[in-house]
Amino acid sequence: MRCGEFHTTYASDMGIFDTRRARWVLGAFMVALFAVPSFATSYWMDVANRAGIAVIAAMGLNILTGFTGQISLGNAAFLAVGAYTTAFLAGHGMPFVVACPVSGIVTALAGMVFGIPSLRLKGLYLAMATLAAHFIVEFAASHWDAVTGGVAGVSIPSPRILGFDFSDDRSLFFLIIPICIAGLYFAKNLFRTRVGKAFVAIRDQDISAEVMGVDVFRYKLLSFAVSSFYVGVAGSLLAYQARIISPENFPLGVAIDHLGMIIIGGLGSVLGSVLGAIFLTLLPEILRLANSAAAGSFPGLIQLFTPLKLAVFGLTIVLFLIFEPDGLADLWRRIRNWFRLYPFSY
Amino acid sequence: MKLIRSALLFLCLAAAARAQEIKVGGIFDLTGITSDVGKPYAQGVRDGVAWTNENGGINGKKIRLIDVDYGYKIPEAVAAYKRMTGDEKVIMINGWGTGDTEGLKAQVNQDKIPYVSASFSAHLTDPSKTPYNFFVGPSYSDDLRAWLTWVKEDWKDKQGKPKVAFFYGDNAYGKSPIEAGRRFCKDNGIDLVDEEIVPGAFQDATSQLLNMKQKGADYGYINVTTTGVSTILRDAKKLGLATKFGSNPYGFGESLPQIAKEAADGVTGIMVDVPFGENVPGMKRLVDFHKKNHPDDTHDTFYVRGWTYVLVWTEALKRADKAGHLTGEGVKAAMETLRDFDLGGLTTNVTYTPTDHRPTTKVNIYQIQNGKLVKVKQYEMERRPDWLGL
Repeated sequence: MRCGEFHTTYASDMGIFDTRRARWVLGAFMVALFAVPSFATSYWMDVANRAGIAVIAAMGLNILTGFTGQISLGNAAFLAVGAYTTAFLAGHGMPFVVACPVSGIVTALAGMVFGIPSLRLKGLYLAMATLAAHFIVEFAASHWDAVTGGVAGVSIPSPRILGFDFSDDRSLFFLIIPICIAGLYFAKNLFRTRVGKAFVAIRDQDISAEVMGVDVFRYKLLSFAVSSFYVGVAGSLLAYQARIISPENFPLGVAIDHLGMIIIGGLGSVLGSVLGAIFLTLLPEILRLANSAAAGSFPGLIQLFTPLKLAVFGLTIVLFLIFEPDGLADLWRRIRNWFRLYPFSY
Repeated sequence: MKLIRSALLFLCLAAAARAQEIKVGGIFDLTGITSDVGKPYAQGVRDGVAWTNENGGINGKKIRLIDVDYGYKIPEAVAAYKRMTGDEKVIMINGWGTGDTEGLKAQVNQDKIPYVSASFSAHLTDPSKTPYNFFVGPSYSDDLRAWLTWVKEDWKDKQGKPKVAFFYGDNAYGKSPIEAGRRFCKDNGIDLVDEEIVPGAFQDATSQLLNMKQKGADYGYINVTTTGVSTILRDAKKLGLATKFGSNPYGFGESLPQIAKEAADGVTGIMVDVPFGENVPGMKRLVDFHKKNHPDDTHDTFYVRGWTYVLVWTEALKRADKAGHLTGEGVKAAMETLRDFDLGGLTTNVTYTPTDHRPTTKVNIYQIQNGKLVKVKQYEMERRPDWLGL
């Protein structure tokens, strides 16, 4: 009978899966995940794809904010850079396999440029600097008509790989989810490497990290680059999924949403990014269903829906900060342990 | 047992009733930057649908309007569209804004979903590019051309050219007729001296007005919704400008003199639909419905507009149903059979053909005189082929 978790080697301590059962559970989840398109309606496929994209973007932000401790309000801007790069490349006939990674790289470069102030700035001041990035990109998106199509937006052709046309959400699911899984796998492993440990050291105490020999500025920039690469890829997929993007796709609210995702999910946790992103993507859908169910008896509710969404979002974040500061990831860990160690947990 | 049987019977009846239902999507702005005119419009559409259902429906079939508030956000409209076409399987959609309608035009064409939207953007009138887009009224571009024609007639100093300025919002709606206006000015001896862009929502237009004053504009056309128009008019009055202002069909209505007070006096504007309560044959059902269901509400021309939309597309649904083609393609084809379709004076009669989706080119110009809306002129703009889609 198990009553706790004991590692006897370094290898097992560093392992991704702490038990054999975790492996099975993940495998079963994957099978279930890829079975979703066979029964879900096309709208729920849209929701699933949006959730997948949000997972990648939240993972990116979590690398920067959760693991490296550099707060950023520029996520919507980086998302926009990725999306507009894809719109530009795809509009000029580039295939998906080129446009998507290039969008990630371009966004990574943009992230490094906007990350330069992090050499001098920390905390609230860095938040303001990244906020500036947001407004600069937003301005460029609405006024650089030749590339971005201005406020009217720009449309993107559907992605094609080897002649197969991913024209609807059902097929896009098989493009977005594998990229999402690959991204999570990379992130999970990143934090088992020297680079990942350096990120965490900077977050925990930047001066001691420097003393230990971590080149703080270099790793901060690297963190901005890796993080922005993720967000850029998410932006690229968003462009392919939405098919039309305009500056309205990237309001500051998106950056706040992403921060909300990693706070609710769990800062500094790969699983947290996933749970938080899925939770916050589904929240408005659940509210909408509840709202339309109630709208029959209270027709005035439809007008309240948009403000209600914001209020519930705010309330959720406050409640999580007070009662579950480590987020859904920690909640999940506790539930799991309770079942695993039942009935003799110490 | 009896209970089960009656329950089953009820379910069967309910299912049968469902099958006799026609689902129509509604994408409205109830909370966004154009909600000042979006709310009465949405109310008009809902009431129009309710009235149709009470009066025979579509050859006996009821319409179910599945509507959503998208807050004037293009991504929200795209999500709503996907939900309506994917989950609800609506046959057509009654939409709202220019940005979202133009953004969705390729998608609706691919999905063959007739998209009748409140945007009068001329970019939606060329069926070779946007075969599934419709609206009910003259285009924004024809509105502006007609108003510029009025300016030329109003301009007394025949020595010099009239100087005109355009005010427009930084969005697809605001910008829609601007290119057409620029060209019309150039071809017709009008000096376009200034263009001022205002943000989506604004409380102050002083700096734009001072710019315009410096350029010496005699006339100004404001292409934003009523709340924005009244802000501009009040600021202009504060600054003591002598410029004569005109406004577009979403910036002009009963509410304008109420909000802008005396600053609105003398202002001209395009009215696509008559004011609520106007003595025209088609108004009776609106007034009756209003008295029966919500006698204490006040209504305006935008409410009337919502009704005219429903009257047009329900006619198309009826014709498509009679022809046995109650599909997106069938409804589009039925829309294109409407010739000089009479809306009882609520708005100008409309015509759609497979090669031209300009419903009408007749533009009514009203003026606010002592707080009242007075019709001053009707222009019929040319159906020039090079103006199709511009």
